[in-house]
Amino acid sequence: MVSARFDDAARDGATPTFRQLWVAETVRLRESQWGPCADSAEVRDARHRGAGFAERLLLRAAALGEREGITAQIRQWAAVARLSLLLLAMGAVVGGALAAQAILGAPGSQVNLLMALTGLLGLHVITLLIWLVTLVLPSHDAHASLGELWLWLTRKLARGPMAGLVLRGLLGLLGRRGALAPALACISHGAWLLALGTMAVTLTGLLSARRYTFHWETTLLAPETVQTLTATLGWLPRQLGFAVPPDAIVRISDGLHRLPDTAHAQWSGWLIGCVVLYGVLPRALVWLGSAIVTRRRLAHLQLETGLPGFAELRDRLAPQAQSEGIDAPAPDALTPSTPAYASGKAPQAAAAFLGIEIPPDASWPPAGLAEAHDLGVVDTRAQRVQALNRLQATPPQRLLLVCDADQTPDRGTLMLIRELATLAAQTGVVALAAQGAGAVSRQATWVRFLTDGGLAPGQIFTDASAAGAWLQTQTAPGSGASHHTP
Amino acid sequence: MNASKASTPLRLAVVGHTNTGKTSLLRTLTRNPHFGEVYDSPGTTRHVEGARLRIDDHTAVELYDTPGMEDSMALLDYIDQLTEGGERLDGPDQIARFLDSPESQGRFEQEARVLRALMACDAGLYVIDTRDPVLAKHKDELVLLARCGHPLMPVLNFTHRPRQRLDEWRDAMARLGLHATVEFDTVAPALDGETQLYDKLSVLLDRHADLLQKLRDNGVEQRRQRRRDASRLIAELVVDIAAWRSISPTDTDAVEAATRFLRNTVREREHMCVQALLKRYNFDRTTFPAHQLPLQGERWEMDLFNPHALRQMGIQVTKGMAAGAMAGATVDALTAGISLGAATLLGAAAGGIWQGADKWGRRLVSRLKGFHEITVDDHVLRLLIVRQLALLDALERRGHAAQAPILLATDEPDSAAVPGPQDTDHTPVTDTAPDFRSAPLPDEVLAARAHPAWSALANDYTPSQRREQAVNALARVLEHAPAPPKTTLLSS
Repeated sequence: MVSARFDDAARDGATPTFRQLWVAETVRLRESQWGPCADSAEVRDARHRGAGFAERLLLRAAALGEREGITAQIRQWAAVARLSLLLLAMGAVVGGALAAQAILGAPGSQVNLLMALTGLLGLHVITLLIWLVTLVLPSHDAHASLGELWLWLTRKLARGPMAGLVLRGLLGLLGRRGALAPALACISHGAWLLALGTMAVTLTGLLSARRYTFHWETTLLAPETVQTLTATLGWLPRQLGFAVPPDAIVRISDGLHRLPDTAHAQWSGWLIGCVVLYGVLPRALVWLGSAIVTRRRLAHLQLETGLPGFAELRDRLAPQAQSEGIDAPAPDALTPSTPAYASGKAPQAAAAFLGIEIPPDASWPPAGLAEAHDLGVVDTRAQRVQALNRLQATPPQRLLLVCDADQTPDRGTLMLIRELATLAAQTGVVALAAQGAGAVSRQATWVRFLTDGGLAPGQIFTDASAAGAWLQTQTAPGSGASHHTP
Repeated sequence: MNASKASTPLRLAVVGHTNTGKTSLLRTLTRNPHFGEVYDSPGTTRHVEGARLRIDDHTAVELYDTPGMEDSMALLDYIDQLTEGGERLDGPDQIARFLDSPESQGRFEQEARVLRALMACDAGLYVIDTRDPVLAKHKDELVLLARCGHPLMPVLNFTHRPRQRLDEWRDAMARLGLHATVEFDTVAPALDGETQLYDKLSVLLDRHADLLQKLRDNGVEQRRQRRRDASRLIAELVVDIAAWRSISPTDTDAVEAATRFLRNTVREREHMCVQALLKRYNFDRTTFPAHQLPLQGERWEMDLFNPHALRQMGIQVTKGMAAGAMAGATVDALTAGISLGAATLLGAAAGGIWQGADKWGRRLVSRLKGFHEITVDDHVLRLLIVRQLALLDALERRGHAAQAPILLATDEPDSAAVPGPQDTDHTPVTDTAPDFRSAPLPDEVLAARAHPAWSALANDYTPSQRREQAVNALARVLEHAPAPPKTTLLSS
């Protein structure tokens, strides 16, 4: 049972690599923008080497990509992308470290706990919430800001005539499979993860090497609120082993009391715990989630052969029919001589007409010829032989052969006409078109055919009345008046 | 299934009287408009030309186009002359003797080629121009061809012309013992014409029935694939145009200029789609000349934006639609923009800081400053869909032997339309089938209207999974849409 899947995806031995698909997509975009590439050599090669439409598409795209410099551009772009990823990572690390340092302030300073926490985690929490909201909103694709930044940076750094096309190819490839948003999210969360991680590490380092004091202040909120807040935030770190200040210490940390030494260490623990558990951990989780989704969406990649730039190539790359060529060239046509009266006898009858292969449902005899002698219609072999014998016995002065202009003239008819022409002193042929709508008149073909077959223009008629007039004319041999009506 | 049988291709010779459409048949079966030469004159094909039909890169069938038989009566006489003297040779031996004789390179050179080709093949397709009367020479031809010893299947061509003599030919074939005939008009074959041909052949040649079955299934699958690809092309066109918008300041001249720009862009995009459809169906670009972009001025009659064009296609035009320079475009100042703006505002607020300022900020700012957004009217979208479906229908029914250009005629009373072929397999239009001229536009089109970034014509085009899903869904709708009614095609 023949498989009915003609996009051949299942038939390919190897799954296409991401790079191959990227090249194919970029070539497709280029052809859709600037017209088809001259590709006969590549198509021939692809048809020879590849089995199946998808594989041949990839081969053709690879060859064209090499030729047009697209592959080189993609290589360069990929290198630039890696570079800008590196720059982003470095920026994140540096940013995290600097943020930690800036928020803690000069060594020995008083650190306002709530301000520090907001400063360290505020931006992170806001952007994470925004991302989560866009994830859930149905009408809008999720956008990850740092991922977009990476894209922007790459676009700025990549140079070359086809950089834009390459980028569009990548975006198309990822976007159609729904892998673009997760991929950008992955990059974005990864950068944040680095920043927060560095932040946590820097915090730990700074808090280990320098002396800081912690306090909380509030004007608007009630002190109990702040205590509850800090206690709630500290609950999770306490469960996971961070040293978190107990309630008593929290209460007296309003900056107006002197705190024991351990309190500051506990507050450091609280701060670092919050950064790790509310910063690093959520980001790590969403980063992991995005990475898994991206990987899943990009697994088992196949070429989409139904896309506009690919579908039209189906007939070129996997043709269903192919010409084979001819057996031998046709021989040259010889120009035959004009048939002349061959019989030795003098013509006896005056004028006669004969129908050749007239359809049985046509009117016979045709109008305008009634006065002459009607020899009937010739179709079968027996009728031919009979007509030839009669004409041999009593050759007429003028013989008019009536043909049906709707039919195509052929060599057999021509041979018959030539043979009949040798049995009369003068022969004319009229190609009568049938009347009525829808008739396919091939009169011009008949005229050309008969002329090529050796008849003189004066012998060929297309009109029954002109032919009838010729038939009735009593002339001496040799003065053939021409009645050819075009 | 016997593997060795499957690998031997079936060889068919396409034979018949001169100028009956043998080369046309091959053009249509191989879907190659340039196979051989086709002119209306006797004996145009003077050689035997081969073509291969493939399934999955294996040759399934080899078809051979032959010159016409022109002088069969005299040839029969000659063969009788060669074999007189009391010998009783059977058919193929008689033909073999003729092929060894001097006249096979002389007077009967053309017929010798035909007979040699048929002797080397497994069967013959005898093509008949049903407009010709049944004459003695045709019967003699069949006698000659039958002497080759291979099955012959008559193919009745030109069956949709007014003066065809179909019944006479069927009678004549029956009297000669050829009862399995197939109707196949090479210029406008029925949608399942090829299928019928292979089905009947498989009855005649039951040794090759498996292969013919595969060929038939292949043909059906290819047709479906073409339709799928074509629906996808049209869906992309519709989404691109529905989502496209052009922004202009509020003064009249600017709006008119922007509308003109919009219309030209839309026309060019439609033109691209038409070219892609023609290419997918393997027709020349010149097949649909009415759709060639005018170099100067506007081809107003076929123009998308002409209200008359809409009426011709049966699409109701409301009174409020703008005419003249503004025809076909909706100028959206404040009204419709609000509903779109609300969703995009929310998106803007949620979407990230500079992203929002970049995309929607511009639109918000332009709306606040009083810019106008110009989009394509619903009516024009309908006309687009209806026209493309009509073109698709015409392409599906057109044989590659047809030479006249495609004209999508309308139901005007004075258009001299030739009635199209009767399709017995065409599913009738049911009440549930969408008539795009009046039914509400599909959801995917409405979704596209709300997402300007879905249009490939836009500068900020971003391919997304949702767009992909919408395009695929719309393509499925179009794939199963019936042909627009009241559209007859003129192709001779």
